Amino acid sequence: MSNKSEVQNVIFQALTALNQERDADEQIEIGPDTALFGPDAVLNSLELVSVMVDIETTAADEFGQSVSLTDDEAMGRDPVPFVSVSALTEYILELLSK
Amino acid sequence: MSGITLVGDFVTLRPLTVGDAQLTHAWRQGERATNLNAGAHSVEQQAHWIAARPASEYNFIIELSDGRPVGMVSLSDIDTTHRHAEPGRFLIGDEAAVRGVPAAVEAMKLIYELAFGELELHRVHGTVASDNALMIKWQKFMGMTEEGRLRNHYFINGKFQDAVLFGMLAGEYWAKALPKMTFFIEAAKKGR
Repeated sequence: MSNKSEVQNVIFQALTALNQERDADEQIEIGPDTALFGPDAVLNSLELVSVMVDIETTAADEFGQSVSLTDDEAMGRDPVPFVSVSALTEYILELLSK
Repeated sequence: MSGITLVGDFVTLRPLTVGDAQLTHAWRQGERATNLNAGAHSVEQQAHWIAARPASEYNFIIELSDGRPVGMVSLSDIDTTHRHAEPGRFLIGDEAAVRGVPAAVEAMKLIYELAFGELELHRVHGTVASDNALMIKWQKFMGMTEEGRLRNHYFINGKFQDAVLFGMLAGEYWAKALPKMTFFIEAAKKGR
């Protein structure tokens, strides 16, 4: 089973890739508390989608298991699981443990 | 140019007017527009371009619910015989204003509702420059299918780039794209 730091690293990789698309003065501070969605989010819609696609792709490669972040299960959560890095980490760990 | 207004939960699409020339020209000069085709070189040219839009096109300014204009989007090349059209000219000009707001998602949802709902089209299509990685991921995630490439079709940012062709059929919109878009909008409403 994957551990928390491995999952968090996948998310950090996706955010690091996004930072490479951003200007030097608009870099996202990457950490467990980084807000990905909602009023405090540091991402716009296009960036959020890009990050989620990268996470789903990398997670499948790293963990050998597909992870869907916007399926019915995710849709049923309140708040959604990708509200922050820490919440998303916990959700992915939950999916990988099944 | 058609003059309808489309209202969503987070954004309103109101008709683009000549009075938007300065704002939209400034957006086109921004960093995020560098992967688009070259636009007008001056505000005057932009005003002429807006004034010349045919009645068959829908060109919109994306406004937040407080009235702030944040971007633009259009539906053009509408063919009622073959029932297809091209959503495009999609640009979020005020990046800071839309962080945490599903502005892009809802703007596209409103455009697709117009295309597949009101106009009863069968297909939408478009192209994205191959270096525009964010937009390519976005289009695929939101239900578009990559249908091909026009090699070296664009000369953007000092080099030739492929035009990646995307298309979506009405059935794919109702079955896949609409639920995904609705998901993001409903999730954002919960977090308000």
